[in-house]
Amino acid sequence: MKVYSYILIFCLTAIFPLSTVSCDKDGDTVKPVINLIEPAEGDVLVIGEDVHFEMELSDNEMLKEYKVGIHHNFDGHSHSATRADLEPFLFEKVWDVSGKKNTSVHHHEIVIPTTAAPGDYHLEVYCTDAAGNEAYIVRNVELAYEGGDHDHDHEGDD
Amino acid sequence: MLAGRFFPAMFALSWFMLSVDAQQADSTEVNIRLEDVIVRGEPYRKVVTRASALPMEVAGERFLQQHFTGNLTQTLEHLPGIHSMDIGSGFAKPVIRGMGFNRISVTENGIKQEGQQWGADHGLEIDAFRAERITVRKGPASLLYGSDAMGGAIEIISLPAPDVNCLLGEAVLLGKSVNATLGGSLMLGVKHNAWYAKMRFSEQHFGDYRVPADTIVYLTQRLPVARRLKNTAGLERDVSLYAEYRQGAYGAVYAVSNAYQKVGFFAGAHGIPDASRLDDDGDWRNIDLPYSRVNHLKVSSRQQYTIDGGQLTWDAGFQRNDRDEWSLFHTHYAGQLPPEKDPDRELFFSLDTYASSLKLRLLRSTWEHTVGWDVQYQQNRIGGYAFLLPAYRRLTTGLFWIASWHLRPGLTLSGGLRYDRGRIDCEAYLDRSYDVDRRMDDVSGSAGVVWTPGEAHQLKANIGRSFRLPSANELASNGLHHGAFRHEQGTPSLSSEQGWQWDVAYAYEARGLSLEVSPFVAWFGNYIYLKPTGEWSSLPHAGQVYRYTGAEAVFAGAEVSLSVDLLRCLTYDMTAEYVHTYNVDEQIPLSFSPPASMRHTLSWTLRGLEAWVECQSIAAQCRTARNEDPTPGANLLHAGANFSVAFCGTRAQLALSIRNLLDTAFYNHLSFYRKIEIPEPGRNFQLVIKVPFKNN
Repeated sequence: MKVYSYILIFCLTAIFPLSTVSCDKDGDTVKPVINLIEPAEGDVLVIGEDVHFEMELSDNEMLKEYKVGIHHNFDGHSHSATRADLEPFLFEKVWDVSGKKNTSVHHHEIVIPTTAAPGDYHLEVYCTDAAGNEAYIVRNVELAYEGGDHDHDHEGDD
Repeated sequence: MLAGRFFPAMFALSWFMLSVDAQQADSTEVNIRLEDVIVRGEPYRKVVTRASALPMEVAGERFLQQHFTGNLTQTLEHLPGIHSMDIGSGFAKPVIRGMGFNRISVTENGIKQEGQQWGADHGLEIDAFRAERITVRKGPASLLYGSDAMGGAIEIISLPAPDVNCLLGEAVLLGKSVNATLGGSLMLGVKHNAWYAKMRFSEQHFGDYRVPADTIVYLTQRLPVARRLKNTAGLERDVSLYAEYRQGAYGAVYAVSNAYQKVGFFAGAHGIPDASRLDDDGDWRNIDLPYSRVNHLKVSSRQQYTIDGGQLTWDAGFQRNDRDEWSLFHTHYAGQLPPEKDPDRELFFSLDTYASSLKLRLLRSTWEHTVGWDVQYQQNRIGGYAFLLPAYRRLTTGLFWIASWHLRPGLTLSGGLRYDRGRIDCEAYLDRSYDVDRRMDDVSGSAGVVWTPGEAHQLKANIGRSFRLPSANELASNGLHHGAFRHEQGTPSLSSEQGWQWDVAYAYEARGLSLEVSPFVAWFGNYIYLKPTGEWSSLPHAGQVYRYTGAEAVFAGAEVSLSVDLLRCLTYDMTAEYVHTYNVDEQIPLSFSPPASMRHTLSWTLRGLEAWVECQSIAAQCRTARNEDPTPGANLLHAGANFSVAFCGTRAQLALSIRNLLDTAFYNHLSFYRKIEIPEPGRNFQLVIKVPFKNN
């Protein structure tokens, strides 16, 4: 019978750690929160001017960085072929917001050069916290010349 | 006759594990050749599970018929502890106790299936119509199958040849409403003296699947969908040939199979994100860009020589897995131009695998020893305008010894040791991936006990050490993984994954009642996972870089199954399962942890008719890794009925089932489309008609 009691002990020890692992304290898996105020969905960004950029960031523990990306969303090739001296605008920049739990961001550091091709773009904002949690938000924006050129014909694009 | 007891407990999971009814189903009436040990009058399931100290599930012919869906992985999902990682309604890959991808092995006729199983958009390339019997080992199986089987192994086994010379065959028709599937399979076989040969052809076509939702979240915005998920249509075409020869002590098996799949990807999960890609194209049967195409060719042979008390087996196989993904040319690298040939071919992988396995088995009345030598060589070629995984060559070889002792009636000890060596050489790709040449070796082993103190009780315990060599993507990938829109990067210096796993299984079986409880704990000193690094990717449409990193990790959980005969023709079955994963370094859960779930099934049997109703409860999964969203739970209702009718001298079997009766919108935490918040398919009516015939 001795051998059987060893087997039982062998089995019971396997159940013991099962009851303990569930009490572990969890690390931070909460994403930061991005409240992007400007640019708003569908906004027009004027070519040759800076972008009014305004948002609030917050995290349950500690923010780290945010990145803004602007990429064309021409969905085809019609826009880029319009003028040889115009290029699809590509923007990527990272800002440091480490050491804070909440912050308000307001700047005009994104400047759209005059060589930027007008059309539909995506504006993406990514934000990370100290643990590596990441939030992001995408806005559809339009690059256009000042004076309302932005309602030009879009039917050829689709 | 068979149909008369066809579905005593449809969708009842514990049924095939323990209940007395089920044992009769698994062909007690014939002799069963269990690796050439003739077992008369005992069900295969009982024989196999008794011999293994690891928890094991056996899905016999009846189970596979009852849970047939046209997709093998989705059928196996009805086993406790097994989950299906789906990519829409077409591709699916298995997950055992929270481990998937390269951490489990699938073998057929002794040869390990090798495709691009590291990928999130890969599915198992095996014809569901062909699977005749499946055993699933839950827990460390690398002792038997080498490096990749650390989480478990799924073995697809052919049924033994008929005893007498005959001509046999079957025709199966499959129809599903949720994605308008029309499928069928035709099998013809002949047994003539020492020869048994069969061939099968299967084909399935399906359209875009219906989702019980009006909107989905895309690019952080809520957008309408037209109740069908655009471009998730697909097709599958499988051909296979199988021949067996047995004469005296010599036996041989030859198998050739080819699986072809073409499945569309939901456009929103691929390429440059844009809301216009969700617009309805008016055709829900077409397969448009982006789509994936896979062709898997497999040739295998088994040579076996059996003498008194000994058996020598040699398995050899060749596989070619060609997989490509097509998507309208787009690039994340400035200045990259579309290639001249096949400008829309995004990714191409061609993996050749050569495998050989030699085994010598010695049997005596109280002990049994098996020694073996495995070799596998792989060559992966790549193409396409995008890059994710490098071209590589990989050679692995292992020596093993497994033994078991029958100490006294009802008490068996088993154990073994294995030594593996491996070398992987990944080629550099432009400036995106470095040349990586790694050599690794490791030891795995296990020790266990099976104790059967009486007919009613059985206790199993096993402790095993398993390991896994890092795969090419973990060492040298570098690129954007679509769907996830994540920049994933390999780490060339990763060491092999290793851990200890502890399993216990207790089974009780008495008249009208059966119960099985199987808890487990696993500890990994070095578990490889994708870690968000906090470093920004240089690629547009990507946030931070995710890098493969080793961490200490713990897995723990249990499966419970219960079957009770309530009345003469009424059976209640319950199964429940839970997995707890924990990344000790980060103090957070691991990604893709299956949620706790439970199934309650009532089945009613009367003469040829069987009817069942099932309630499936899936708990919410709030234990998620970083940047993985929690998934809400759901309660689903399923029902079905099965009967057989006389038809031209044979009995046609009909099975009608309704999945997700209430058309509940729910999510599969493991699904590829979960990340973009696409719900699982809605209400589905399925009809399977099977007409077998046999001519002596």
